[in-house]
Amino acid sequence: MSEYKVITVPEVAVIKEIKKEIEDTSTFYLEFENPEVAKNFKIKSGQFIMCTIFGAGEFAVSLPPSPENDRFHISVRAAGKVTKVLHSLQPGDKVGIRGPFGNGFPFDEIKGKNVIYVAGGIGIIPLRSSIVHVLQHRNEFGRVIVLYGARTPQDLMYNYNIDEWRKIEGVEIYTTIDSPAPGWKYEVGFVNTLVEKAKVPVDNSVAFVCGPPIMFNSVIKDLVNRGMREENIISTLERHMKCGIGKCQHCAIGRTLVCTDGPVYTYKQIKTLGEQI
Amino acid sequence: MFLIKKNEVLKLAQELEKSYAVYGPVVEKESGQAFLTKVDSVNDIDLNAPIPALPPKSVVFPQIEKILGYKYDRNSKNVDIKMVVVPQAKAIFGLRSCDLAGIQCLDRFFLGQEFVDDVYLLHRKQMFIVTNTCTKPFAQCFCACTDSGPSAKEGYDLNLTDIGDSYLIEVGSDKGKELCEKMGLQKSEAAHAAEKVKVVDKSLDSFEKEAVENKAWISRVMNRITTGFIKPQVWEFIGDQCFECGACSFVCPSCSCFNIEDFNKPDTAVDRMREWDSCSFEGYTRMAGDHNPRKPIEDRRNKRFFCKLSYSQSKKYLRPGCVGCGRCAWVCPGDIGLPNVVTYVRREITEREINE
Amino acid sequence: MNYKAGICNFCGTGCGHLLNVEDGKISGVFPSRNHPVSKGRLCVRGWHIHELIRTDDRLTTPLIRKNGKLESASYDEAVSFAVEKLKGIKKPSEELGFLASPRSSNEENYLFMKLARSVFKTNNVSIQSESGQRESLNVLYKGTGMAGMLGSIEEIKKAEFILVVGTDITKQNPIIGSEIHMAAMNGSTVVTICSRKSQIAKLSDIHLQCKPGSKKILLAAMAKGLIEKNLHDADFVQKYTEGFEGFANSLGSLNDGDIESLTGVSAQQIAAVVKNLSEAKTAMAFFSSGISGLDEDTISYIYNLFVVAGKIGKEGCGVNPIAGIANLQGTYDMGVAPDLLTGFQSIKDAETAKKFGKAWGADLPVENGKDVYDLLAAKKLKGLVVVDHDELIVRQQKAIDDLDFVVYFGAFNNPFTELADVVIPIGTYVESDGTFTSTDRRIQLSHRKVEPVKGIQAGWQVYSMVAAKAGAKWNYDSPAAVMAEIASLTPNYSGVKYDKFKGIGGIQWPCNDKYPQGCPRFNAGDAKGKIKFVSVSANFKGAEKNTEFPYLMMTGKAQHFWHQNNLMRRTFIPMREYNATLLLYPKGYVEISPEDAKSIQVRDKWPVKVVSPYGSMKVTVKVTPDVKSESAYVPYFIRDMISEFLMEHKELLEQGEDAIIPVRIEKV
Ligand SMILES: Cc1cc2nc3c(=O)[nH]c(=O)nc-3n(C[C@H](O)[C@H](O)[C@H](O)COP(=O)(O)OP(=O)(O)OC[C@H]3O[C@@H](n4cnc5c(N)ncnc54)[C@H](O)[C@@H]3O)c2cc1C
Ligand code: SF4
Ligand code: SF4
Ligand code: SF4
Ligand code: SF4
Ligand code: FES
Repeated sequence: MSEYKVITVPEVAVIKEIKKEIEDTSTFYLEFENPEVAKNFKIKSGQFIMCTIFGAGEFAVSLPPSPENDRFHISVRAAGKVTKVLHSLQPGDKVGIRGPFGNGFPFDEIKGKNVIYVAGGIGIIPLRSSIVHVLQHRNEFGRVIVLYGARTPQDLMYNYNIDEWRKIEGVEIYTTIDSPAPGWKYEVGFVNTLVEKAKVPVDNSVAFVCGPPIMFNSVIKDLVNRGMREENIISTLERHMKCGIGKCQHCAIGRTLVCTDGPVYTYKQIKTLGEQI
Repeated sequence: MFLIKKNEVLKLAQELEKSYAVYGPVVEKESGQAFLTKVDSVNDIDLNAPIPALPPKSVVFPQIEKILGYKYDRNSKNVDIKMVVVPQAKAIFGLRSCDLAGIQCLDRFFLGQEFVDDVYLLHRKQMFIVTNTCTKPFAQCFCACTDSGPSAKEGYDLNLTDIGDSYLIEVGSDKGKELCEKMGLQKSEAAHAAEKVKVVDKSLDSFEKEAVENKAWISRVMNRITTGFIKPQVWEFIGDQCFECGACSFVCPSCSCFNIEDFNKPDTAVDRMREWDSCSFEGYTRMAGDHNPRKPIEDRRNKRFFCKLSYSQSKKYLRPGCVGCGRCAWVCPGDIGLPNVVTYVRREITEREINE
Repeated sequence: MNYKAGICNFCGTGCGHLLNVEDGKISGVFPSRNHPVSKGRLCVRGWHIHELIRTDDRLTTPLIRKNGKLESASYDEAVSFAVEKLKGIKKPSEELGFLASPRSSNEENYLFMKLARSVFKTNNVSIQSESGQRESLNVLYKGTGMAGMLGSIEEIKKAEFILVVGTDITKQNPIIGSEIHMAAMNGSTVVTICSRKSQIAKLSDIHLQCKPGSKKILLAAMAKGLIEKNLHDADFVQKYTEGFEGFANSLGSLNDGDIESLTGVSAQQIAAVVKNLSEAKTAMAFFSSGISGLDEDTISYIYNLFVVAGKIGKEGCGVNPIAGIANLQGTYDMGVAPDLLTGFQSIKDAETAKKFGKAWGADLPVENGKDVYDLLAAKKLKGLVVVDHDELIVRQQKAIDDLDFVVYFGAFNNPFTELADVVIPIGTYVESDGTFTSTDRRIQLSHRKVEPVKGIQAGWQVYSMVAAKAGAKWNYDSPAAVMAEIASLTPNYSGVKYDKFKGIGGIQWPCNDKYPQGCPRFNAGDAKGKIKFVSVSANFKGAEKNTEFPYLMMTGKAQHFWHQNNLMRRTFIPMREYNATLLLYPKGYVEISPEDAKSIQVRDKWPVKVVSPYGSMKVTVKVTPDVKSESAYVPYFIRDMISEFLMEHKELLEQGEDAIIPVRIEKV
């Protein structure tokens, strides 16, 4: 109890640039006002921050930038009261940041393995950090596969990144949309069908899965059917969050709190939590 | 250990008043209801008042409180963030032992996990706690079953026990000892300590038969709840009776859930407030975009009893979350206070055993 | 002591609470354990009343509209301006309306009513459209002479049989619902008549899930069953009542063979309920009186059923309408109605009018006034005076815009100020003393707990100021003095005095020479003359089966927040709960049964089109086993839905909860 960090007070950051991703989701590039804070702001892939929109409230948001050499940004869908106000802000406006919080994805443990990312819709946001990080260290891993699906071509996030990733050698990128669309030259069908198509390896592999509950459940089923072990399937969970620091308990799932024990869980853990996803 | 004459016991509170804001049991006149609240005068303190309606968590974790203030001017882009002011150090005088156990749960939860809750700490640090042994339990009490009474064992600075014409004062900290010495209180003898043992035994004997019987059952029920080995129909029966009022959480000395909202004030200043919340509410888990992992009410009720009576949650509190104060039973518009739920689960276990 | 005893100001239950006052601000609420009604319980609204009262969103100064913009003014300026304009209205009995708030205290409502009648010479004084309460009071007044709940909430535990008709009481008046549930847990038989499987239906021993629109038939069938099997209380009927023959005759046209097909409830079920009712020594009936309350005919059947069963006029018995808003009962008691003075005394009664005229030193307008809503609709009004505003009045925005002059009295900032020419702030209910009469005629005194916002006056002071400006001399030095005047003019309140309010729990009227400490219930011996059966229609046609519009659609409340939405907006947790439903079904929903969903081929949250003979709307479906096949249920909580679709059915809706709209539901 002697040493503790004040974690209820946000640090101020400026919105530098806003990039529209898809219909209701934009990426906000941020910069801390205080350089000291910026210097000490170290993140792990899979972690999240609590973002204050002054006058509206606070919400939880994943960190898509890689821990190394990447611009600080968040990608947010206008989903409700607070996030809608964020979308009305302009570059130059300020927001408050607390964090980073949460356990984050394993990085060192997965070195040398095949890494598979399966994302649906805006589920790619929390995975982006890890994807970029792994690509920055491409030779330290086995096969690197990204399977990404969305409803229509207009619902695909980070198009500009994906196009770049396609150019990197030794990275297998599959994108798919729910039903055929004019001009679309990649796959058609739900994401889980890609698991088969990409001949996803299951030995010495880890899979990161993130997306809406229906997609999540069917992908897991297919991976497990192929022989992927439950402890090698990794996901991040989303729960109603208020504090981000394990105190408000809104994010409780089973005996754990998503903000401090998660948001990253293995499928094996998820199964023992005894609650709906 | 020290002794103080019964009619002089409030002198302790007077001494505390010099350096603390004193909280104690006071009876509100119009309603005849006891509250543990900040006292206008220490003479209002009534050590014989029934267990206060309001759980003492309100002293360290108020029903609604400001945790941050800020001003943001969208034109000049000026942000001005202010932390909350440090309140005056507080002393609680005459805390019941179940309620002390409640505060200990909160301490372990707010201060003992990965992060320290700095707002809670502001209230809690430098606090002085004087507990008061229950010489006879109140109708709803079952602290004897949850190992939290009728006399506090640890966590106090001073513990009072009514042993006839005086109070025995047990010392639980250096701070406590200093205070007694400063007041030049008389040291107690072995006989006084023996007298206390008698008083506590007598108190234990006078618990309602049911409350005592439930003792063995509570651990069996905890076992069932932890393992999830309870028929869904039992949760449904319980869930149907829930009026979704949140009262059980608000009155529970160990419930810590809160909501956070930014209150806009007319002059562009904003207060970030946190307020008691309850897992009984549908909006408690609802997420933006239609998804609510815990929609049916029985899922939400089941959560509460998992929180109060499971080994996994007890790990956080280092004791069961329920401290046996019985408050949730009298505020529940359904009929599903914790003791009743224990009874329902117990009934199910018995039925199962008969059938198997 | 930071905690100060008071009463919850949301619904008509009148629960006791204690408010935490810290540094002059309300910072918490706690239930009152010794309160005779609530006994330590509060509902979700009651538990968050501090969020509402502590809001900073207050009116802090009088405002006068100048060149289209509201500008600050002094009380003196604002009041003078208002009086001058109101006095300028030529024919106040036709052109001026006074809209009161059912949440104001008795004293404030009384003065507001007095202001309308004695100062501004109009009887057009009414409240927002909670007309169901009035219909209930009419029935009870006709039958027993008591215009209020015949039983008492405190006596629910003594009722061996409890009948709940319609209302989802656990949402609307949760603590009364709780009391009924507790009685059930202690062995009382609870029977619910409701077309939906509401929570109270689930908690009942017997749920009669009748077809929409057939409650009346079911009640008639029960009365018929009682009489035919000679299970009614013949002694009671003989000794205390008159009109039995007439009632029995009107049941004659109900054909036993038709009952099941009309109501969807089997003869055995009805017989079982009849048997339970007759065997119980004590029994109570509950029904809601809100916007979605029952129609007068159905209420009359409930009342007659209980009279014939001998279940009124004694301990543990009674026919009990439930008011949805805090001081709704008190508002009628105070004569806030176009045709009434205090205590349900008719304005047409010469003696009464004389008594009031003398006491007030003014001539009263003699003709009955009109309902302010009707006047607005008829476009007759020129001036309108409103206290507090409810979301409902926004429906009339256009009509209000067209008025010459609008005065608004209120505590909070709200959209209505945009419609007003003069805004005069008044204090909230914690800023002055005042009494409130809850649904079981319980008059409770709520003390002032905090200092008013700087410079703001209490309602009773402001109304006196207005009267003074208009030349009337009112000399009240306190709300207690107002109550003294009310007591002197109102037989049922004649014994009420502020110094009688000791402790908590209040006084239930009648409080008079016979019952100086009040009386919990209607006692059979107190009826003026005999207890009367009230006349009922003998029309037992069920809702007609219509192949074009096969679904019978009911309307009602979804969550417990609708009709107090204006207040709920200022809370956080109740608002979040309201939003939880709203966000799931942003355009509202229509509940249908799983079987029907299958046949229309839709799933939960899919959009459908609801078509009635008058119009159509697009909503999402909520598939739930809570409604029966061929019924549909639309919650009455989203403004768009109401204005776009339901408003087309205004006449139908005025019939109350049993109003049903035949519709067709199509997949889109
Ligand atoms: C770990 C984590 C990472 C997330 N990352 C992203 C991201 O990268 N991009 C993105 O667009 N969204 C993300 N979300 C979801 C985002 O937090 C919600 O969309 C957001 O809180 C909605 O807030 P609101 O006030 O606009 O919505 P409202 O519906 O008005 O919600 C009110 C309050 O409820 C809580 N709440 C509601 N929905 C959620 C939710 N889904 N998750 C957590 N709290 C919620 C919040 O406290 C919010 O302030 C993430 C959520 C979590 C838990
Ligand atoms: S669960 Fe109930 S009995 Fe147990 S500590 Fe909480 S309020 Fe008291
Ligand atoms: S989750 Fe429920 S039971 Fe547990 S602390 Fe929170 S409100 Fe209390
Ligand atoms: S007090 Fe009872 S009714 Fe209220 S939320 Fe708790 S369990 Fe439900
Ligand atoms: S039932 Fe009514 S009076 Fe009681 S707490 Fe709820 S809203 Fe208030
Ligand atoms: S967000 Fe508050 S405990 Fe997890």
